[in-house]
Amino acid sequence: MTSIAVPPSAPEHTGSRLTRVLGAATAVSWVVWLTYGLVLSPADVVQSESVRLFYLHVPLALSAYLGFTVTLVGSILVLRKNSAFWDQMAGAGAEVGLVLAGLVLVTGALWGRPTWGTYWVWDPRITATTLLFLVYLGYLVVRRLDLDAEVRARRAAVFGIVAFINVPITRYSVQIWNSLHQEATLSLTDTEMDGSQLTSFALGAIAMALFTTWLIIHRFRVGWLEYELDRSGLESAILERRGERTATEVV
Amino acid sequence: MFVEYVVAGYGISAIVLAAYVGWTLRRGRALSRQVPADRRRFLRD
Amino acid sequence: MTDHHDEGATSGDELDLRPRTDATDTTPPTRRRSWGAYALLGLVGVAIVAVLGIALTQATVFFYNVDEALERQAELGDDTFRMQGSVVTETEVRDDGALLFTIGFDGEQADIVHVGDEPSDLFEVGIPVVVQGRWETDGHFLSEQILVKHSETYEAENQDRLDDAYDGADG
Repeated sequence: MTSIAVPPSAPEHTGSRLTRVLGAATAVSWVVWLTYGLVLSPADVVQSESVRLFYLHVPLALSAYLGFTVTLVGSILVLRKNSAFWDQMAGAGAEVGLVLAGLVLVTGALWGRPTWGTYWVWDPRITATTLLFLVYLGYLVVRRLDLDAEVRARRAAVFGIVAFINVPITRYSVQIWNSLHQEATLSLTDTEMDGSQLTSFALGAIAMALFTTWLIIHRFRVGWLEYELDRSGLESAILERRGERTATEVV
Repeated sequence: MFVEYVVAGYGISAIVLAAYVGWTLRRGRALSRQVPADRRRFLRD
Repeated sequence: MTDHHDEGATSGDELDLRPRTDATDTTPPTRRRSWGAYALLGLVGVAIVAVLGIALTQATVFFYNVDEALERQAELGDDTFRMQGSVVTETEVRDDGALLFTIGFDGEQADIVHVGDEPSDLFEVGIPVVVQGRWETDGHFLSEQILVKHSETYEAENQDRLDDAYDGADG
């Protein structure tokens, strides 16, 4: 973390070699995923074409969990090390995760209508996902409260740790309660899915995770720049006062 | 059957993600011009 | 000068960090305490409580299986609830448009009279469904909504032919 002193030729964007490599991998994986999932793979015997929403909906959910996990790890490190770096990382994970979780709800509704027969019903997993969305929305609002930066970071970190309880609740809601959602299709012992469909889903999960990682890094850097801008604003204000004092002393 | 729902699901996701990515990258460019070069840590590697 | 709030600073380098309160300072404060975020947080809190309320009343007992619903028939009375079972019989359409069919779970069966919107296209004999409605006094279930609970099993159309094609390519 300390080795990243920036040379005079610092870039005027949030890209780097890391994001370019990740970005290229994301682009390739998305082309493969979408070609296979939308064109080459066959429709489902029961669900017909709507099964293709599975290849989007579930990878979105898994990647949302990935974002919230970044928030959890970042929050723990904020409390342990008082780290501004991890505070920004936690914020980036939550914001990206929130966008993905919103799309989980939208794609779920669009999958529910043709298969279940309704866009929305208060099924345990839909309810849990809605709560997940609202809780992380609340987390992002806490990050914008008008408080001293360190106090705010610590409060957000506590929130970011407690909020994570919702992730396993959502994940296992179909096992805990009677749900309209099918139970996990994929398991180590007994996977109830044909090869081409499994491939489409796996490609989607990989493609979405690569994209999410790429996006969180960019979003982290935006957050870091905001943090630096805030800090340099504060420092220039202090310098200004110091300047005033020197001026009065001279007079 | 149900192609319209598949199109809507992928379409909305593409639009939302593209908008969010665009906002993030543009904001990154705007901010990095305001922050002095020696303070732009964590922007490489 | 008796106040002494920064012990660490050397006296020569001390900087006045106290907020400016003198009347001559007419520059507006750079940042006003904003309450908008607190208001938004309150709104999110209200939404979370509302959804939690739904979660505790509806989502945790999303449905009873047919056998449980029959067991609880007296207790349920004419309450609205959801019941799950697999479609056992072909659906008959009554003159008034109501759908008549039977669902079963774990050996128990219930006759359904459905008067709401048509179920999704996946509705057919053998598929598990969740019906929302209530027990009528004559023992059948009056349904106002049918949700099709597709199973966790997926099967590609023409997967056999695909497999054959791959095998053919290998050989």
